[in-house]
Amino acid sequence: MAVEERNSWWRRDAAPSYPRSVFLLCWFLGSVLLAFVVIPLVALTGQASASLAEVLRMADVRNSIALSLEAAFLSALFASLIGVPLAYVLARSSFAGKAVVAAIVDLPLAVPHTVAGIALLMVFGRQGVLGEPLQSLIGLKFWGTLAGIVVAMLFVSAPYTVNAARIGFEGVDPRLEKIARTLGLGPWRTFMRVTLPLARRGIMTGVTLTYARSISEFGAVVILVYYPETAPVKIYELFLRFSLTEAAGAAVLLLIVSLTLFVLLRYFAHGREMTRDNR
Amino acid sequence: MNASAVAVEQLSLTIGEFQLDRLDFALNAGEILVILGPNGSGKSVTLETVAGFHAPRAGRIVIAGRNVTALPPERRNVAFLVQNFGLFPHMTVEQNVAIGLRGAPSGKPAVLPFGKVGKLLERFGITQLARRMPQSLSPGEKQRVAFARALAAAPDVFLFDEPFSALDRHTSNALRDELLSFLRGLSIPAIFVTHDHEDAMALADKIIVLRGGSTVQAATVDEVFRKPANVFVAKFVGVENIFAGRIDERSAGYATLAVADKRLSAFAPAGLGDKVWVAIPADAVIARPPGNAAATAAPRINHLAARVESVRALGPLATVTLDCGFALKAHVMTRDVGAFATGTAIEVEIAADAIHLMAD
Repeated sequence: MAVEERNSWWRRDAAPSYPRSVFLLCWFLGSVLLAFVVIPLVALTGQASASLAEVLRMADVRNSIALSLEAAFLSALFASLIGVPLAYVLARSSFAGKAVVAAIVDLPLAVPHTVAGIALLMVFGRQGVLGEPLQSLIGLKFWGTLAGIVVAMLFVSAPYTVNAARIGFEGVDPRLEKIARTLGLGPWRTFMRVTLPLARRGIMTGVTLTYARSISEFGAVVILVYYPETAPVKIYELFLRFSLTEAAGAAVLLLIVSLTLFVLLRYFAHGREMTRDNR
Repeated sequence: MNASAVAVEQLSLTIGEFQLDRLDFALNAGEILVILGPNGSGKSVTLETVAGFHAPRAGRIVIAGRNVTALPPERRNVAFLVQNFGLFPHMTVEQNVAIGLRGAPSGKPAVLPFGKVGKLLERFGITQLARRMPQSLSPGEKQRVAFARALAAAPDVFLFDEPFSALDRHTSNALRDELLSFLRGLSIPAIFVTHDHEDAMALADKIIVLRGGSTVQAATVDEVFRKPANVFVAKFVGVENIFAGRIDERSAGYATLAVADKRLSAFAPAGLGDKVWVAIPADAVIARPPGNAAATAAPRINHLAARVESVRALGPLATVTLDCGFALKAHVMTRDVGAFATGTAIEVEIAADAIHLMAD
């Protein structure tokens, strides 16, 4: 079964094709990577926890974190609203130019985020192609507003939702949808009761990644919006204007908040399935 | 025409390169049609078209007296069973069965019509599995859940798309027997698609052999096996002896056939050219040790002297490969193989009506 294959990499009996030394080497190299990720974060937390209390008292730091969370939430929400249907189309149909569409989806991953910020400024800025008419018509402003932050975050993070949801949809056996149809469910109910629940893990992974990526976005946001400051922008400003200590304190606070959310989201995305698979 | 439970009339379909060409069949209540064909023959596409997933270019599909050709799958009243039975992996057995009850507004266990689901589970002896997830079920249990779910939707026809193809022979035979007894207990017709001629033999009332979207033969099981339309069908249904021959003489419907340096008598259908293909099922070849007085008294029709080349036991039957100027396979009882040691001289007899001649 697929479930066993997915979990079997760590089982000794499932890895007979290479000698153990190969696995030891893989583990050694992998440990370097894991250490590379963990040590800086631990060092940061260790050194900056002293200033944590002080930073916590700074209202502008707290506000910037709240703003980051709010904007990232909206970014993830919009990414799923406009990205999940596209993911379904990419997973379930073949059409001329599909590769081009998939490449366009991936484009923001390849564009440096400062470049993305400048490009977005051209479109959503004061004289932008959309920015100007949208302000004069409905008063929607993208510079100096939450809307601008969300737009910048969405641009750089939407690919994660589309790609992960696409993988999720591709993993749903189309015959299950066919069976649901023959059992009397119309297309919409089939989607809601069979396709969507089965693709849920992929979609939630994508939304989680989009959320995490949105929180961490700096380049595009700082160019398109700057004020109000999101947490990364605030940290950068503290670093420039004050000292490493204050910046580090805010950084730890953001780290704690975003990691907690990340873990919670991952748990909700995977938790139930994981326990089921490991039964 | 309306008397048939299912009628497919002159169904034609184009999907990309593939063309289904004027498929035609009718099924009565309780009948099982097997559509037999290799990969790419269009058998699964045919099934999906009956289910409503492809729009035909021409033709009609009538199920239970309703012309469903233009209806979406959810309004056709068909039950679709596929490889591994396609249970919904995110639902319990109970929820799987309940989703088939038309009009059930949602999958919430609390609002299920428990009585009906319970009865179905009970009928298939799977009440104790109600709360289990499909991944934890054996193939046999999965099949029962799939039956229960299909029946919940009160279908007018069952459509099976190679449900056993992922299973080992032993399990698949057991499930096939159960499927057959299940279908025999209902008066709902079934269309079963497979590339496995054993499944076809075991299940079918009627067989359609498809190749490249065209019907090669539509007949009863016995006809397809005894009188295959051509070499393709003969090979596909597993006729053991297929070889080339030449008709030397014809008289009163009989033909004298030259095969290698031997002569055989067979019925020759009218219109057959002189170069023919010969199909003889192994179970129509009677092989016995020589020396039998009755057998050696006089040369009679289709008696050949042969030598045993090899013996292969397959359960209660053994296949003996004989050399009688050409290679010939015969079935003998495995308990008798002692008389068929390699190199033994053997006498062979083939009934004239067991020899089937084909043009191509």
